[in-house]
Formats: sequence, structure tokens, C-alpha cells
Amino acid sequence: MEEASRISRYLYTVIVLFVIWLFLTSSLDPQELIIGALFSLIVAALTYEVFTEKGLANLHPKRIAYAVAYVPYFLWAMIMANLDVAYRVLHPKRPINPGIVECKTVLRNNVGKLTLANSITLTPGTITLDVKGDRYFIHWIDVKDATVEGASENITKPFEKFLKVIFE
Amino acid sequence: MVKRVLAIILILITGYWLANALAQVPFGADKMLVGKYYLENVKEQTGAVNAVTAVVVNYRGLDTLGEVTVLFIAATGVAALLWRKKRERTAKSEGSVVLQTGSKLLLPFIMLFGAYIFIHGHLTPGGGFPGGATIATAFLMLYLAFREYEIPHNVFEPLEGLAGMGYVAVGLIGLIIGGYFLFDWIWQTWQLGHANIGRLFSAGFIPIIYTLIGLKVGTELTGIVDNMVKEPKEGGQ
Repeated sequence: MEEASRISRYLYTVIVLFVIWLFLTSSLDPQELIIGALFSLIVAALTYEVFTEKGLANLHPKRIAYAVAYVPYFLWAMIMANLDVAYRVLHPKRPINPGIVECKTVLRNNVGKLTLANSITLTPGTITLDVKGDRYFIHWIDVKDATVEGASENITKPFEKFLKVIFE
Repeated sequence: MVKRVLAIILILITGYWLANALAQVPFGADKMLVGKYYLENVKEQTGAVNAVTAVVVNYRGLDTLGEVTVLFIAATGVAALLWRKKRERTAKSEGSVVLQTGSKLLLPFIMLFGAYIFIHGHLTPGGGFPGGATIATAFLMLYLAFREYEIPHNVFEPLEGLAGMGYVAVGLIGLIIGGYFLFDWIWQTWQLGHANIGRLFSAGFIPIIYTLIGLKVGTELTGIVDNMVKEPKEGGQ
């Protein structure tokens, strides 16, 4: 992955930090804005090198639109998965079929891989155990398909269509 | 067995004494003598909305200076105890890609939040010590996620010293202007921020001192972590 220019990465970090500052203070008092801008500039100068690789390209409207759309999509998947696990807990026979499966991902970017791993873990029934290259090792409460392709179809594919646009 | 029984009996007796003594103080009664003075005068005298901060930095500033000194001695002591010429990290394996990417992403947010805590010390709970500890957590996280990570020592150690000296310098300026050490010259003499109570630019020298303490505590705790995660190189004692 080619890196964006230093200025672009620095500016992106400043913008993200300043937005976080606005949420933290929830105040538009000019004094808060001045200090917030100052701290954003300082902290960004110290951390932009590790924080971002693509810089301002992250703020592409299409990426933001997909990221905004991903939130309700993910929340819905989480609610359904929670209900599914609640059903398994309450069912007298406890219909579980646990196992560790291997999945493949099309994501190349580390941040994308992190988000995918966290999305998988936060939807109950699946837990990411380890990530190696493009391989995910996932503990699945109800193994429907133990092959690599089948498991990817069930676990990683639904998230990937969003994450691919957001992070690649 | 006898030892354990004796210890339990001793603890029970001590606990009974303490409970007896505390029972003498009725719960919820008005016990404030000095406290009342603080609460009634804190705004005009210091400009801080957070009374705890005003007491810690303004009314009883020497105690805070002592605390900062204790922390400095602790950091120096750890460094002196663990001092070796050749030292390297002890971690045997690299963290996973999830851990490493996650800590890279969180680093600026933790640092910004630490700064948020120490600059708002006179308005919200917190101050220099929690803010500094938060910033040190960010570096602890890097140390735990990356095997090779090392803080820039040539920046951290001078910064630590400068922040400590800055605190004393602010106090000494107070001594020159107002006649006693840690006199709040920004509030009392310059009257800066008097129209601003409750907003960010108020409370005299409290935000300045808390910024210095935040930097000092942050760099100091990071230095302690740095010393603790390294061990002598094999054969290089």
C-alpha cells in the first residue's frame, strides 16, 4: 500500500482529533475551540505517523457514506446475533455445534482487518481468535460449513462488502 | 494454624477499635470548619469552579509540589535500581495484527483525552495527575503491543525536568510578586480571567500548573514503565 504525503496524513489526524475534541467538550466556546485546535495540532504532530497511512483520502465522500451506512447495518447484525445466542442459551437441548474454522478475507489494509475482526467478535456466535495475513481463525458456535470458502461466505462476506469500500 | 488464628483475632480487635472510634462521629452532621471557608471563597479567591483543584493547587500548593517530588524520586529510584548499561526488551513474541493496529489507532485519542483532562482541571474532576497517568497509558499500550518500541529518551527526560522546574518557577514568580511561594500572581495581581469564571481561560495559574504536572507525570510514569519492561542483555551484565 502506498502512503499518502505527510501533510495529508497530518491534516487528516488534526481533523479527526479536533472533531473528537468537539464531542468531548460539547461546547463551541471560542476558548475551548482555540485550546482544542492547539492540542489537536500538537497531538497530531506526535502521532500522525502511526495513526494513518492514507491521510485525507480517508475522507472521500463515498467512504464516509459507506461508514455511516455500516453502523445501522452492523447494529442490526449484532441484535439478530444476540437474539440467536439467547435462543441457544434458553433452548432446553442447547443446539450448539462449536468449532474453529478458517476464513479468508479480501481486505488488504490493516485497519480494515481490525474492523472486520472486531465486527466478527462483536456479533455473538463468532469470535476472532487470530489473524494471520489474509486468514482469520474464528471460533463459531454453530459450524454450518467447515470449509474455508463456506465459512467465509457465512462470516466475513456480509461485512466485507462495506469494509472493502471504507478501507481499501 | 496458631499463627493464622492469632492474626484473625488481632484484626478483629483492631477492627472493633476503629469501628468504636468512628461511631463517635455522627454520620451526615456538619463537620466543616475549614471546608466551609473553602467552599464559600473558592470562586473569588482562585477563580476555579472545581473546589478540589483550588485546594490542591492553590490553598495547599506545597502538598502538590511534595507529591510531584515523591513521584520524581520514585521514578529516579526505579531507574537507579534497574540501571544497567546494556538493556533490552524482554517480550518474546510480537503482538497480533489486531492488537498492533488497534493500539496505533487508539494512541492519538488517548493522548488527546489525557490533555483534555489536565487542561480542564479547574472545571471538571481530574487534573494533572489523572491526565498524566492517562497519557502514560498510551505509551504503556505501545510498549505492550510492539516488541521493539522505545520512547524517544532525548525528548522525554528533558521534558520531565523542564516541567518540574516550570512548576517551581511559577511558584518563585509568585514569591517575587506576592511575597510568598506559590502565590497565584496570574489571578491576584494580573486579574486575568476575572470575567471568565467557569470558562476555560480562568482560575489563575491552575491550568498552567496542571499542564506542567500533566506533562511531568505522563513522562515520568512512562519512564518507569520503560525501565521495568527491560532486562539486562544476556551475558552483558
